[in-house]
Amino acid sequence: MTEEILVVDDLRTWFPIKAGLLQRTTGHVRAVDGVSLKVRRGETYGLVGESGSGKTTLGKSILRLIEPTGGTVLFDGIDVTKATKGNVKKLRRRIQIIFQDPYASLDPRQTVGSTLSEAMRTHGLVSSKADAIRHAKDLLRRVGLNDEHLFRFPHEFSGGQRQRVAVARALAVDPDFIVLDEPTSFLDVSVQAQVLDLLKDLQKELNLTYVFISHNLSVVQYMSNRVGVMYLGRLMEDAERDSIYNSPEHPYSYYLMAAIPIPDPEFKKVPKLLSGDVPSPVNIPPGCRFHPRCPYATEKCRAGEVPFYVGSGSHHNVACHYSIDFERGAQTLRPASLTQAAEARTRSQAG
Amino acid sequence: MASGDREPILETKDLTVNFKTYRGDVKALDRVELALYRHEVLALVGESGCGKSVSALAILGLLPQNALILDGQILFKGEDLLKKSSEQMREIRAEEIAAIFQDPVTFLNPVLTVGVQLREAFFVQKHVWNRTLPDTAENKSSGDEIKEFLMRKDRPEAEAQADRISAREKQKITEELSIKMLHLVRLPDPERILTQYPHELSGGMRQRCMIAMALARRPSIIVADEITTALDVTVQAQILMLLKELRDSIDASTLLITHDLSVAAETADRIAVMYAGNVAEVATTKELFRNPLHPYTQLLMRCIPDVRKPVVRLESIRGNVPDLIDPPSGCRFHPRCPFAMEICREKKPVLKDVGNGHLVHCHLY
Repeated sequence: MTEEILVVDDLRTWFPIKAGLLQRTTGHVRAVDGVSLKVRRGETYGLVGESGSGKTTLGKSILRLIEPTGGTVLFDGIDVTKATKGNVKKLRRRIQIIFQDPYASLDPRQTVGSTLSEAMRTHGLVSSKADAIRHAKDLLRRVGLNDEHLFRFPHEFSGGQRQRVAVARALAVDPDFIVLDEPTSFLDVSVQAQVLDLLKDLQKELNLTYVFISHNLSVVQYMSNRVGVMYLGRLMEDAERDSIYNSPEHPYSYYLMAAIPIPDPEFKKVPKLLSGDVPSPVNIPPGCRFHPRCPYATEKCRAGEVPFYVGSGSHHNVACHYSIDFERGAQTLRPASLTQAAEARTRSQAG
Repeated sequence: MASGDREPILETKDLTVNFKTYRGDVKALDRVELALYRHEVLALVGESGCGKSVSALAILGLLPQNALILDGQILFKGEDLLKKSSEQMREIRAEEIAAIFQDPVTFLNPVLTVGVQLREAFFVQKHVWNRTLPDTAENKSSGDEIKEFLMRKDRPEAEAQADRISAREKQKITEELSIKMLHLVRLPDPERILTQYPHELSGGMRQRCMIAMALARRPSIIVADEITTALDVTVQAQILMLLKELRDSIDASTLLITHDLSVAAETADRIAVMYAGNVAEVATTKELFRNPLHPYTQLLMRCIPDVRKPVVRLESIRGNVPDLIDPPSGCRFHPRCPFAMEICREKKPVLKDVGNGHLVHCHLY
């Protein structure tokens, strides 16, 4: 089944910068700046990027936890960006989010049971208290905890268990779609896999769709079917998992993949280093935002925004004018017809 | 680099540290034995709460007030650091053991320029004046000079010169050294960076400044505590590459503390794996990855995803890291260990050498 449950089109979320006595808007932090992507039902879309690339803002904008500045988000055919308040509430039952830090996202003064039943009551999913408790116990068992945990407070749990509670809380309202924002980056490696595997199992059992946000490329590779690489508020590349990990086509993705430390001292890594740091999203470089750090940049890259081209992999979109042979350092201009093909594909899938 | 029969420059023996908390005593370090040899990079690897940072703080004499050192020695060049006064430790931190921490923002002074802070690092040493002055006239290439400086090839007659140099000349010498130092850590446009404040720099640049400041003191030991954790992967790769390049130009040993076994694999000569306040296993990096002996090390290696070899199912270690207020009896890993025997519950194992300096803290061997 390849039906798209989420279609994001040209989404922009800008934050105003206010300065001076009158707090006039003097500029914008363009956290998300024209992102289009599609998520298929029952699959995981991985979003990777470095800090400040806008991946969290994008995740929150999908739920309208942050009001987007422009563009559309279609969830199961409903335009989230134009939904009324009542409809947003209905949508939030179906779209849930799990945050990085379970220490901050759970109410320290509520027991797990009351946290879970509050979510169910808010959305009118249970008729009585007994019903809520029965449902909460089911949820806890589902995430690998047991009945006695119902009456405990968040501080009585370890980090991994707390993240399980956060998962149970998200599942309490029977969602179709969950945005997972760095769900394991607070956890130690020895427990990280427990939570990742739980998420994978739940996805299969409940036919959930995930957007998995992480800066950890190995974890995204483990979890995702399709992966998007973000840089300074834009998608640089968007492709099937294996296609992007085995043969990245955008120079940024290529260097990002090459920078991952390998847990093998005998692996002879050829150092491929990018120069510099990620620029501030207030002063985004003109043209391709990656050009100041890109060793392949030309005049054309400085000129204007780069459209998506059709890459050589299957369903591979890449925002780079050049097709680059990274081993030999040769670059050839991609024909403009490939952007039209990419546009046509985007349109047909959106419609 | 095999440890062989060389003398370690730094050694902890039976180091045992508790923290007093309102819930009870946290048994943070339990007879930690570590040895750092000359000119090597030793990585301390472990999960949160394993005691890697506490070990570093103990070595630096920077343990918080509620820490109790119950037992043990920290031998640096034959002297016990635990017997030093806080004033003496300050001197040691200024001249011998330099530290670089995870978050440079907390360690850089926000109201002083990078230049002022970096120059300060040179002022703590008397020898600086002796060597640099004559060379500047000789028009040596800057790279060589800073390398000689770092290798401590000072001129013996220089010591006495310090008094004869005016403050203005000192300013000039340190300024020049600072610029060369920033070049060395690959910072672009060092002249401008010297006039900037920490907040004007990016995370990677700040961390490079911290490294420059640590190197400026020409320490014998550099303690690097999670220095790349707050950085992005592309910047992390730059910093790790810099550390590798610097290895040969400095006369220092590095204690690299990290939670990331992959980072250790790429940078360290030897790795010490810690778990719940114990040293679980120590070996050269290659040996540890080829032949991990401790069950914890074996399991840990299967938990880390490797982008080169995607798997269908990742493994995890059952249970959780123990609460060190009430640590498990015997071997602290036994409740999570698939090979646990009767003896593991009762008796704490010793750190045993199984050959070639491969140490393992387990009853199986």
